[in-house]
Amino acid sequence: MLNQLTQYLQSTVTPGQAGSMLWATIYILVIFAGISLCVVFINWGERKALAHFQIRLGPMRVGPHGLLQPIADALKLLLKEDTIPANADKVVFWVAPFIVTTAAFVVYLVVPFGPQHAVTDMNIGILFMLGVSSLGVLGIITAGWASNSHYPLLGSLRSSAQMVSYEVAMGLAVISAILMTSFTPGSGSGTLSMIGIVEAQKAQGVWFLFKFFPLGLVAFVVFAIAMIAETNRAPFDLPEAESELVAGFHTEYSGFRWSLFMLGEYAAMIAVSSIAVTLWLGGWMRPFPNLLSGTNWDTIFSLVPGAFFLFLSAVTLYSTARMPKKLTFRIQTVGLGAFGLLLGAVGLVMLVPGVRERVQDIFWFMLKVAVFMYLYIWYRATWPRYRFDQLMRVGWKVLLPLSLGVLIVTGVVGLSPELMTWLKGVL
Amino acid sequence: MALAPIFRKIFLVDLIKGLSLTFRYQDPKEIYTEQYPLERPQVAERYRGLPRLKMNPETGKTLCIACDLCAKACPENLITVESERDPVTKRKVLTKYTFDLSRCMFCGLCEESCSTDAIELTPDYEVAQYSRDGMVLDQKRLEEGPDRKEYKR
Repeated sequence: MLNQLTQYLQSTVTPGQAGSMLWATIYILVIFAGISLCVVFINWGERKALAHFQIRLGPMRVGPHGLLQPIADALKLLLKEDTIPANADKVVFWVAPFIVTTAAFVVYLVVPFGPQHAVTDMNIGILFMLGVSSLGVLGIITAGWASNSHYPLLGSLRSSAQMVSYEVAMGLAVISAILMTSFTPGSGSGTLSMIGIVEAQKAQGVWFLFKFFPLGLVAFVVFAIAMIAETNRAPFDLPEAESELVAGFHTEYSGFRWSLFMLGEYAAMIAVSSIAVTLWLGGWMRPFPNLLSGTNWDTIFSLVPGAFFLFLSAVTLYSTARMPKKLTFRIQTVGLGAFGLLLGAVGLVMLVPGVRERVQDIFWFMLKVAVFMYLYIWYRATWPRYRFDQLMRVGWKVLLPLSLGVLIVTGVVGLSPELMTWLKGVL
Repeated sequence: MALAPIFRKIFLVDLIKGLSLTFRYQDPKEIYTEQYPLERPQVAERYRGLPRLKMNPETGKTLCIACDLCAKACPENLITVESERDPVTKRKVLTKYTFDLSRCMFCGLCEESCSTDAIELTPDYEVAQYSRDGMVLDQKRLEEGPDRKEYKR
């Protein structure tokens, strides 16, 4: 057992490729727990950031700056009464939230947090991700249908129409990024594997965002718009438009089932953002790989994750010291202090030389995803919701031709040396 | 053919303008929220809130001379003034003063009619109570003011 544990650590591939069942299970559990925790704290971050965008304060009472609010929220949701409407289709009603959550979490099997840090490396990774994440619509439709109520049904119908139309543009944008992987000098063929795509960016020495300059950027923008529509977030949140449909497909849900929808939605947001990071933003690679290259810069950048965690720990311990000294605040103070010490311990472990190189990939990947999460909140705070016909027009008349054009031009530009020799031969 | 609007649409200028505006709102200095029990709003000086009976600061005796003008001025008839004549000084002495806060509409006529400035509507706005029983204020409570818990930040 111990032998199996340590044996894998010498390898440089994912547990799935190394055939280590034990480590694959550990990765699955860690990713599941980590993503759930991330979702909980993104929920806090969203309430807080949204409040600041609207010149409010947001949660302030539970812990310093409401830091322990998500825990209180989770407790409330779990203790709430779980109602099923009298005329609802009970089995389908019960199954729907599980479909949404499962579809959102299965995707993480192939997300490459680092060259070794994925459950497995499938040769059809990106196809698998797009395919499974689309299954989430099925859960939304069943939820709307099983509720036996007008608003959920309307919400789920809107959701399905929206997802179907934006999936096309999204897929074409993804294809243009996959096409770029085939232009690696000396390889000649592209790849669908998530790790392979990042490695192609490494081999070509450029993130696909900057490849063939405006082309990669345009494909990325198309994807970035389509992914907001895919995850039903503002300004494309018509399926759950509060002003029109109460809460859309999850109107009739409450308590634990509702929180599963919430979990699924945020997990899907992280999953889709990690596709964007993998395809265009260099995945786990550190920022400025060309501008600040060399071993010195490598060491400096590998110190950043540990330093970041130590800084977080210092901030947490400082606010623990500033907590009110009353008896009623004792549990909060102890909890916050323990959390600060935990962060500090993580930071110290991440500074150890052997661990440092292996773990920094995860940090850079998550940092890039976190930027996307912030953008999601920023968009929500800024832009009003689209009307449904406008949404369809943007999807079919703008994004689809744009992504198709980018795909064709990328192919032509990528093959231009071969095309030139062919033209010379003809003329 | 105006090119400028087309370029504005292609490069999403308006959307980016909106984003930069909301980004600037994140400055902590902009925050407008008042954390009520911890931070109290400053109300206007002439705000009419909880009533108070003033005392002479030197002697500690009430300024009220039991002239009954406030009770007569009150549109709701919620003030009762009872008095008896002091046999020595031949002056009216206040024996009972009640103010029914549950019916008060804070018009301030009692305050204006008072010849000795004894009754006053203070800027204290926290007049909500758990039951109606405590809403008829007697002389003692009018003079002492409310017993209130202060919250610290």
